[in-house]
Amino acid sequence: MSKTAKAAGKKKHEHVAAYVFTLPGMFLLLAFLGVPILYTAGYSLFRYQIVRPDDIVFIGLQNYLKLFADAKFWLALKNTVYFTVLVVPAQCVLALALAMLVSSKFRGVSIFRTMYFSPQLTSMVVSSILWIVLYNANPNTGLINSLLVNLGLEPINFLTNEKTAMNSIIFMSAWQGAGYQMMIFLAGLQGISRDQYEAASVDGANKVQQFLYITLPGLRGTIKYIVMITMIQAMKLFTQPYVMTQGGPKDSTRTLVYYIYTQGFQQGNFGYACSIATVFFLIVVIMSLSMKRLIADNG
Amino acid sequence: MKMKKLVSVSLATTMALSLAACGGSSGGPAGGSSDQVSAGSAEGGSAEGGSTLTIWQPTDKASIEAWWVEKLAEWNAEHPELQVKREAIDRSDSYAYENKVTTAVTSNDLPDILFVDGPTVSYYAANGIIVPITEYFSEEDMADFTPSTIAQGTYDGQLYAIGATESSVALYYNKDYLRECGVDVEDIEQRTLDNPLTWSELAEIAEKCTTDSYVGTHVIMDHGEGLPYALEPLFVSNGKDFVSEDGTTAESYVNSQECVDTAKWLADLIANKYANVDPITDEFLNGACATMLGGSWDIAILEESATFDWGVTYYPVSDSTKKAVSPCGDWSAAVSKNCTNVAGAGEFLQWLMSTENVATYAAAIAKPAARLSAYDHEAMADYKEGPRALIVEQLQNTASPRPRTPSYSVFSSRFAEALTNIFSDAASTQTVDPSYIQSELDAVASAFQEDYDMYYAQ
Amino acid sequence: MKGLKAANFMTKFLFYAGNVIIGLIFVSPLIWMISASLKPEALIFANMNSITTFIPVQASLDNFAEVFSRLNMVQVFKNTFVYIALILVFDLLLNSICGYALAKFDFRGKELMLNFVVALMVLPMEAIMLPLYIEMSQLGWVNTLAALVIPFVANCFSIYMFRQFFCDIPDELLEAASIDGSGPIRTFFTIVMPISKTVYATVFILDFVAHWNDFMWPFLVMTGETKRTIQLAIQVFFGTQPVHYSAIMAALVVSAIPMLIMFIFMQKYYIEGIASSGIKG
Repeated sequence: MSKTAKAAGKKKHEHVAAYVFTLPGMFLLLAFLGVPILYTAGYSLFRYQIVRPDDIVFIGLQNYLKLFADAKFWLALKNTVYFTVLVVPAQCVLALALAMLVSSKFRGVSIFRTMYFSPQLTSMVVSSILWIVLYNANPNTGLINSLLVNLGLEPINFLTNEKTAMNSIIFMSAWQGAGYQMMIFLAGLQGISRDQYEAASVDGANKVQQFLYITLPGLRGTIKYIVMITMIQAMKLFTQPYVMTQGGPKDSTRTLVYYIYTQGFQQGNFGYACSIATVFFLIVVIMSLSMKRLIADNG
Repeated sequence: MKMKKLVSVSLATTMALSLAACGGSSGGPAGGSSDQVSAGSAEGGSAEGGSTLTIWQPTDKASIEAWWVEKLAEWNAEHPELQVKREAIDRSDSYAYENKVTTAVTSNDLPDILFVDGPTVSYYAANGIIVPITEYFSEEDMADFTPSTIAQGTYDGQLYAIGATESSVALYYNKDYLRECGVDVEDIEQRTLDNPLTWSELAEIAEKCTTDSYVGTHVIMDHGEGLPYALEPLFVSNGKDFVSEDGTTAESYVNSQECVDTAKWLADLIANKYANVDPITDEFLNGACATMLGGSWDIAILEESATFDWGVTYYPVSDSTKKAVSPCGDWSAAVSKNCTNVAGAGEFLQWLMSTENVATYAAAIAKPAARLSAYDHEAMADYKEGPRALIVEQLQNTASPRPRTPSYSVFSSRFAEALTNIFSDAASTQTVDPSYIQSELDAVASAFQEDYDMYYAQ
Repeated sequence: MKGLKAANFMTKFLFYAGNVIIGLIFVSPLIWMISASLKPEALIFANMNSITTFIPVQASLDNFAEVFSRLNMVQVFKNTFVYIALILVFDLLLNSICGYALAKFDFRGKELMLNFVVALMVLPMEAIMLPLYIEMSQLGWVNTLAALVIPFVANCFSIYMFRQFFCDIPDELLEAASIDGSGPIRTFFTIVMPISKTVYATVFILDFVAHWNDFMWPFLVMTGETKRTIQLAIQVFFGTQPVHYSAIMAALVVSAIPMLIMFIFMQKYYIEGIASSGIKG
C-alpha cells in the first residue's frame, strides 16, 4: 500500500542501501554454507571412503539408486517426519503457554523466566545423559519408573522398547527446547500494544477473549516464524538419538541426520552420506519454502 | 549520500580488518606460555625439517598429563635435534577423536604420531593413514610385550602400532550379597584359570541373586564399542569368533549357530530379568546388582568407594568348550603418513616404549602395562597380588584381540546395534526368539561384507 | 469488597504456585547437575529412584577444586568470550541490516535472497562439517580464530528473525523519518535499532547460548591446550574409563554461570511496554 506511494528518487536511494545492507551477509552465507553444500552435492556422485581422499571414484547416480532401495533411509525419513509432526505443536504450544505466564511484569518474573529457560543453559548432551537416567527401565534405578510403580502402574521400558523410544525423546525434546521459543514469543508479545488490552478490558472482554482476539492475532507473524524454525530444527534432530538410543532399538529413533552422521563418519561411506544429505536438503528446502509462502502474506 | 558512503566504507573496512585480525593469530606458535608440554621446544607446531614431532593423544587423568610433561622435558633436553610436542585432544568419546583424525586426513593435517584405539589400527593401516614401524622394534622387544598387544597392532604382517598399556574384563561379585543369597563364595574365590565359572554357573548365581531390589548380573557396559569389546570372548569361548582369522569375512562366523547360541544365552539373562537391559552407570558400585562383567579400571573405583566386600574372578567360559578367553586392547601409538621424519618418530617410540617408561606410564594412567618386564618395576608393585594380578594373568594367558580387519568400525557399530535390538526384544517380550537373533546377526554379517567388498576386496 | 480481595489473593497465590511447580520441573536438571557437582563420584548415580537424588549429600567443593586445578579457567573463559564476542558483534550488525533490507526495501533479487536464506537454514552442521573443514584448511585457517568466527557470523536464523520483526515496524514511522531528510541508513541506526532492543536481546541470548554449547566444530578446527574453549575444556574429564562425572558436573556448573549472568542481565530488555510505545502506539 504505502510502498507504491514512494517517490522514485527514494527508490533508487533504497536500492543502493539494500545491496550495502544485504551483500556482506549474503557473501558469507554463500562462502561458508553455499560452498559446502555444493561440495556435498558433488561428492554424492562419487564412491568416497572418508579416509581415502586420494581414491575417489565417480560412480554417477549409484549412491542415489542405493539410497532409494535402502530401507533404513526410508525408515529414518519416516522417523524424522514423525518426530517433527509431534514435537512442533507440542513445543510451540508449551512455549506460548510459558511465555504467557511470564509476559507480564510481576515480582520474581525474571526468576521464573530463567527457570523456564534453564534447560537451554545445560547443553543437549548433558540433558540427554540426565534423561537416560530418569527414563531408566528398572524401577530401582529410574526415577520415573519408580514413581509409576509407587502409583501401582507397570514400569515402562521407555528407551529400550521400539514402541516408546521415539515418544520419550519427543517429550524430553519439547521440555528441553520450549525455553528457546518462549524467548521469541516474549519478544513478539512486546510488540502488542497495551492499549488494546485496556480497551478490550473496558469493553468487558475476559482474559480468554483477550487472548483469542488480541494476543493470537498480534502474534501471527511470530507464530509463523516459530513454527517454521521449530520445524526446521526438528528435522535436524541428532543429539538426542545419538546420546540416548544410538538410533535404536530396532531403528525406531534413527533420524536422517543421525543416519548421515553414522554413514559418513562412523562407517566411512562419505559419498553415500553426501547423497543422503543432498536428498535431506531438498526435502527440507521444499518444505520450508512452502512454509515461507504461507508466511509471506504477513511480510 | 555522504552518510551511506561512510557506513559502507566503514563496514567494508571492519570486515577486512576483522578478517586480517583473525587470520593474524595463525602466525603464532601453537603452544603459548602456559603450554608446558612444549617447554624446551624452540620450534612451532610443524614437523618441517624433521626437527619437531607432534603427538596427538586423547586427554586423560591429571597424573598422566604430568607424566608427559616430565618425560618430554627429559627427551627434549637430550635431543635438541628432535624436539617432541604432545597435543592433548579433549574428546567426549572415542568417536569424536576418530572424527578429528578423519577430518585431518582429508587435508593432510595429521600429526606425526597419533594414538589409536586397538581395533582401529587395521582400519587406519589398510587405508594408509599410518605406516609400518616393525623395523624399530627388535624381536627381543616384541617378545616382551603381551602377545595380544602385538597382535592388535599388527596388520598384514607388519607392526603398525604399539601400546604401553592394556585392559581387560573380569567378573566382579558382591561377596556380602552373594553370601546372603546362599552362594558358595569360597568356591568362587578358589577358582583358577583352569576352571573359571561356566555360563551355567553364572546364570545360576544370577538367578539366585535376583530379587525386587537386586539384579543378578550386569553384561552391558555401554551401547557402543563396549558390547563387542566386553562380550567377544563369550562368542570365542563358544567356538566361533566374529570374523574370519584373515579379516575378510564375517559370513558363517558372527551369524554361525555357535554365535546365535551365545547371543541367546545373553538374551535369556535379560528376558529373565537377571540382568538389566539398560543398566545405569555404577550399577554394581551402588549395590544394585550382584555380579558384573566389568573392566580392569573398575578395580580402582571399587577400592575407593565400595561400601561392601567384593571380589574379582576370571572371565566366565562356555559350558561346551570350557575354553578361557578374555578381552584386551587399549590405545597405542602409531606413526602417521604425514610424518616427514619416520626414522625419528621410530626412535622416539622405541624410547617411549622402554621398560622404564612403560612401567611409569602404566602406573600414572592406572592401567595394566603391556610389557611383561614392566611388572618387575617398583611402579607396578600393586600388580603382584589380588584383583590386579588376576587381570595380568588373564592378559598373559587368555587375552584375545578384537578382529583385525579394516571393516572393524562398520562391524562394531552394526554388532552393537544388533545386540541392542536383541536385548530390547528380550526385555519387552520376556521371551527369546532364536530366529530373530539369527536375522539380526545375519544383518551384521552382510553389513560387514558390503563394506569389505566395496573398499578392501581386491 | 473483602471477597474480591480474597479472590484476588487466591488468583495470585494460584498463579505463583503454578509458576513455582512448572518452574521446578524445568529447572530440575540444573538442580541435579549442581547437586551432582557437590557429591563424591560414587554417589552421583545412587538413589536415582527417589527424589533425594536432587539433594547434595556429603557435599563438598572438592570437585570444583579439581576443575580449577586441572584447567586454566581464566584462559578458557578468555578464549571462549573472545570468539563468541567476535561472532556476536558481527552477527547482530550484519544480520540485522540484512534482515532490515529484506523486510523494508524493494530491490531486485530480494525474493531470491529470502529463499536462499530459508534454504540454508535447513543445513545440518553434521552434513557440511567435512567440506567446511576442507575449506578452512585450504584458506589456512585451521587452528586459528578465523575458523571459529568467520563461518558463523552470517546466520540464517538471525537474519530471518530480524526480518520477521522489522516487518512489523509501521511504514509510517519510517516515512516520517524520510520526510525529515533521514537516509535509509541513518533511519536504521537512529530509529529502527533503538526501538528493536528486544529483538536484539533475543538474538543475542539465543546465539550466545548456541555458541557457548558448541563442541564439535571447535573440536575439529582447534588443537592445543592454550586454545581450549569451554566445551573442549569440559571434555578433559571424560578421559578413558572410568569417566569422572563428579568433575564433569562441576565443570558444567562453572560453564553455566556466565550464561546465567548473561541471561539475567539481558532481562532488562524484556520489560513490557518499551517497544509498544514505539511500534504500534
